Amino acid sequence: MAQRRRRLVQAVAGPRLGMGMGLVALAGAALLAPQPAFARPLRVMSLNECADQLVMMLLPPAQIASVTWLSRDAETSQMWRTARRIPANHGLGEDVVRDQPDLVVAGSYTTPATRSLLKSLHYRLLVLPPAESFDDIRRTTMQVADAVGEPARGRALIAHLDQTLKALATDKGPPLRVAAWDSAGFSATPGSLYDTILRAAGANNVAASRTGLGASAPDVERLLALAPDVLVAGAPAFQRPGRHGELALHPLVRRYWSDRTVIAPLTAYTCGTPFSADAALSLRQQMRTIATKARTRLPYRADWQR
Amino acid sequence: MRLTLLIGLAALAAVLAVASLLAGEVWFSPGQVLRALTSSPPNLTRLVVLDIRLPRTLLALMIGAILGLSGAALQGLLRNPLAEPGLLGVSSGASLGAVIAIYYGFAGVVGWAAPVFALTGALITAGAALLLSRGGATLALILAGAAISAIAAAGIELALNFAPSPYAAYQITTWLMGSLADRNWDHVRLAAPFIVAGGVLLLLSARALDVLALGETQAESLGVDVGRTRLLILFGTALGVGGATAVAGAIGFVGLVAPHLVRPLVGHRPSRVLVPAALVGAVIVLLADIITRLVHIGPELKLGVLISLIGAPFFLWLVLHVQRRTAA
Repeated sequence: MAQRRRRLVQAVAGPRLGMGMGLVALAGAALLAPQPAFARPLRVMSLNECADQLVMMLLPPAQIASVTWLSRDAETSQMWRTARRIPANHGLGEDVVRDQPDLVVAGSYTTPATRSLLKSLHYRLLVLPPAESFDDIRRTTMQVADAVGEPARGRALIAHLDQTLKALATDKGPPLRVAAWDSAGFSATPGSLYDTILRAAGANNVAASRTGLGASAPDVERLLALAPDVLVAGAPAFQRPGRHGELALHPLVRRYWSDRTVIAPLTAYTCGTPFSADAALSLRQQMRTIATKARTRLPYRADWQR
Repeated sequence: MRLTLLIGLAALAAVLAVASLLAGEVWFSPGQVLRALTSSPPNLTRLVVLDIRLPRTLLALMIGAILGLSGAALQGLLRNPLAEPGLLGVSSGASLGAVIAIYYGFAGVVGWAAPVFALTGALITAGAALLLSRGGATLALILAGAAISAIAAAGIELALNFAPSPYAAYQITTWLMGSLADRNWDHVRLAAPFIVAGGVLLLLSARALDVLALGETQAESLGVDVGRTRLLILFGTALGVGGATAVAGAIGFVGLVAPHLVRPLVGHRPSRVLVPAALVGAVIVLLADIITRLVHIGPELKLGVLISLIGAPFFLWLVLHVQRRTAA
């Protein structure tokens, strides 16, 4: 057991390989590691995309009854390769009856009807709140790890998270002024996972200072007034046809920020997982590179101070 | 009286248009704007006024005007105080067209895809309503329009139902709320030709509308081609409202409210209502757009939401008022 754990820790936290490589290494470890001698291997089903990620990081595919179909999408799911080898469900009560799992992991946004149905059918149900901070990530990871009987693997994943965070903290660098929003047009609001990751990456989202009922992406006027060094746009915003707001298409935004824009992949901020710090690391590298390379002079912040 | 009203409304629209150039994230004083426009090195104030606020102001003027004008023309044509572009399915047809363009990604490939799709949707729904009601009376046109409108609305909901991702669904939903934020000159260039063409067609129908007020049979006997008038008004509405919906999303109630606001002042002759209603429509949309910029309660307050918020109570008052008047 101790030996297995050491191998896992090496595989997970070993040389820093970037998030994608780290995931492959972890998936490999989960596959190759000898199975513990369970009296009866626990079969786990997950009804929430973020719960899917944790379940797949903690358990070999053979022990997973099904995960949501959302997790097969490479755009949002960190574990999409693994998910494609596992049966898919659509987060419904009928799926649970079909799969007959020993444990169901759901999110707090799983439909109340499904959750109450599962409770009345006496399924073992674990409901995970969304993880918005690194503390949330540590807590939910251990919650799932304990529930599926893999606390050691859970601790190894958290050790990886902490190590990456430490690496981020030691190389502070000058703070970057950024304007960040996601592909639905919401700003990276303070307290959100997106904001947590930006902060870990050493970026200050100047566009989200507005208080109230949450914040949407800044409008062009505000962007000109703030003149952030880098725009961080949620993934499909600039890349996919038809899925962007007017902001990304505005001639002024393109004129000043086309060589100052970093695309944050949806995998970076959709679900908080032990690999979220790796996302911050890669985001920081991109932001620094683009901030030093940018040639376009920003609009005249000085003559229009608020 | 009518001339003073027209001048007054035009002056009000002009004042609001200037205010719309000054209001926003940062308030400018008129002097500041003049200095910025005349000084030679490009500066931020000039950039904001010319490239952000001016196209937005022009769009608000044009869209408000075409909505008010088409509402007035339709109320005249159908001799029904509740007529507006939404009633005949033109608005929902345009929305469905634009949603299809956004949803399947055409809108990102070519800039004019969303307006062209919106226009096509508007023309199809208007055409279908016209065809289905052929031979029937005005009531048939209204009922056919309501049915077509429901079908188009179901189409939009179907697109939302099968949205490829929650983000796409969210974007379609917010787009449908209607907004003029972050629009630029490209949008003006896209929408203006259609709105102007639609407006001209609607104004051409003015004389026929006056005669139509006497009733369809009487109008026919006086030499008015009722079928041609219908075609003119529906086509004009489809062009204008299609173009407006394509760049701003769905904005309701302006077409319903604007004619009713001017009718007490200019009388009930349909041709006299057209131009004042267009001006009132422009004033409403301009004013609402300025308010959306001043309200900071978090995410942007959408233009269409704000107008409906004011328009719906007015609609209610209208229904009650008409009821009382017909009962008396």
